[in-house]
Amino acid sequence: MTTDKDIAIRLTGLTKTYGSGSTAVQALRGVDMSIRRGEVVGLVGPSGSGKSTLLKCLGAVIEPSSGHIELGGEAIFDDRAGGWQIDDLRALRRDRIGFIFQAPYLIPFLDVTDNVALLPMLAGMSNDEARTRARELIEALDVGHRIGVRVSMLSGGEQQRVAIARSLVNHPPVILADEPTAPLDSTRALAVVRILNEMAQRYGAAIIVVTHDEKIIPTFKRIYHIRDGRTEEEAGEGREIA
Amino acid sequence: MINLAARDIGHHLGRFVFTGVGLGLLIGVTLTMAGVFRGMVADGRAVIAASGADLWVVQKDTLGPWAEPSSIRDDLYRSLAGLPGVAEATNVAYLTMQVEVKGKDVRVMLAGIEPGALGEPAQVIAGRPLLRSHYEAVADEKAGLALGDTLRIRRHDYTVVGLARRATSSSGDPMIYIPLKDAQEVQFLKDNDSLVAERARTAANPALNRPGVPGLLDAVLASQTTSHNVNAVLLRVTPGYPPDEVKAEVGRWKHLTAWTRADMEDILVARLIATSSKQIGMFLVILAVVSAAIVAFIIYTMTLNKQREIAVLKLIGTQDRSIAAMILQQALALGLIGYAVGQISAILWAPFFPKHVLLDPGDAALGFVGTLVVCALASILAIRAALRVDPADAIGG
Repeated sequence: MTTDKDIAIRLTGLTKTYGSGSTAVQALRGVDMSIRRGEVVGLVGPSGSGKSTLLKCLGAVIEPSSGHIELGGEAIFDDRAGGWQIDDLRALRRDRIGFIFQAPYLIPFLDVTDNVALLPMLAGMSNDEARTRARELIEALDVGHRIGVRVSMLSGGEQQRVAIARSLVNHPPVILADEPTAPLDSTRALAVVRILNEMAQRYGAAIIVVTHDEKIIPTFKRIYHIRDGRTEEEAGEGREIA
Repeated sequence: MINLAARDIGHHLGRFVFTGVGLGLLIGVTLTMAGVFRGMVADGRAVIAASGADLWVVQKDTLGPWAEPSSIRDDLYRSLAGLPGVAEATNVAYLTMQVEVKGKDVRVMLAGIEPGALGEPAQVIAGRPLLRSHYEAVADEKAGLALGDTLRIRRHDYTVVGLARRATSSSGDPMIYIPLKDAQEVQFLKDNDSLVAERARTAANPALNRPGVPGLLDAVLASQTTSHNVNAVLLRVTPGYPPDEVKAEVGRWKHLTAWTRADMEDILVARLIATSSKQIGMFLVILAVVSAAIVAFIIYTMTLNKQREIAVLKLIGTQDRSIAAMILQQALALGLIGYAVGQISAILWAPFFPKHVLLDPGDAALGFVGTLVVCALASILAIRAALRVDPADAIGG
């Protein structure tokens, strides 16, 4: 049985309109979503369906036009209460939301450890403590042998694992993954999804994976289809990854 | 916290250092230009100091003897020496000319002095000062002459008996000291052909060649072929006596103009090189603007190349001030490299300049602060561009 305490993120009636008047474009038309801690869900839809807009709203990068967003039971956006309920959105993103991008987008001038350790350092953790925590995660993601190496020296799969470690390092309740397997072949793509599932279980994070990668869609137990700014929930196959 | 600027610099170290070296050469040119100006000021002051005079007496209403032509009779020094407060009075003649030194033309200032009197070079580093009344010379070491060399000036050969240091004119030309009589001849006497023609013209003038006045023509010719003019009289004032009082006396009774050391410094430093200093000032402004433009362009380009990283940094919670600090630190680091390279370059190439380049520590400090200020200002454009980067750019298309 799912209680409110188990819900990592809940969206109610979320809308987003770009522009105004005759040129207004309604990207989101009332999205409802609810994701539990430790759960990995797929967000699937064609180009222009509103996936990126939804991700940006969830990531507190753009402001929704209306609706309600709850993170770990706390309202972070409520249009009836005047919009964002959190003053420091950067701190919100840093501490409570993890991001994984289409490409790893690691900081090229930092080594593997510091790419991951940067976030806890930004949150005020000491360098040593942040690096220790980063190394633990890097080891857990099987890139421990590449610690101290420049990120440009890593393979695509290794870079994506470091990016996953970075998204997890501050133990955020929610991780937003924007087509994380797009540049990878099927073996590596499935490996990334397996890692995301393991990490979700280990750290209790809710992970939303935006994708239209046919290879990984069958692995989700729950899928949100987004079309014309509206979401429809359906049960996924939840296929096991070997 | 990780120093993002240092890491980024380390990542592009080669490119960064090369850029810094390029900027440094430009800063080196800027510091050298300032050094050229300082050298001109120092040369002007050195000429004044080297002469040992307290007052320069010149033709009335002229800025002589260096800034304007001045010609006065060479017997005036006697009456000047008799003025109250005057301890010593000496004739001097100055003439800028081209001489041939070891097959090369060298522009020099010829100084005619009385051996052992005022106006002698302050620092003779080899050989001896002038002792004889004719045909010997003491040359500044930059003239390229050695002891014992023979130097042809107009109709006569001069033997170099001494070498002086820091004996240059206010425009940086090396000075060659010769006896006053020789300098007067060099300055005022004509060549043989002109003399013959002049004598013929004088002899043909019935007013100057009267049959009933024997000796008139000879007297006139003698006056034409001897020079009794000098450019200035140097005065040394009795210790404790105010030079301004002597100056006033000279102006009131002798119908001449006298300049004190302060006046002469004003003439040589403020007036004579005023145009040059404006010229150099313009160069300095242009070089500063060019340096700023280069730093701004480089830092701006580096920032544009990092737009995606900056978007990611913002998305994951990096504060704007940290990103601005990263760019500012990079600009300042570029300035530091540039300044160090510029300073070293200026020190290395300054001795090879034909004129005196004085690298003043004050200018170096000002250049250091100026470089950092210019770099900081130049980073503003890049910081603005970075702060405009939308963290949303890191997500999706």
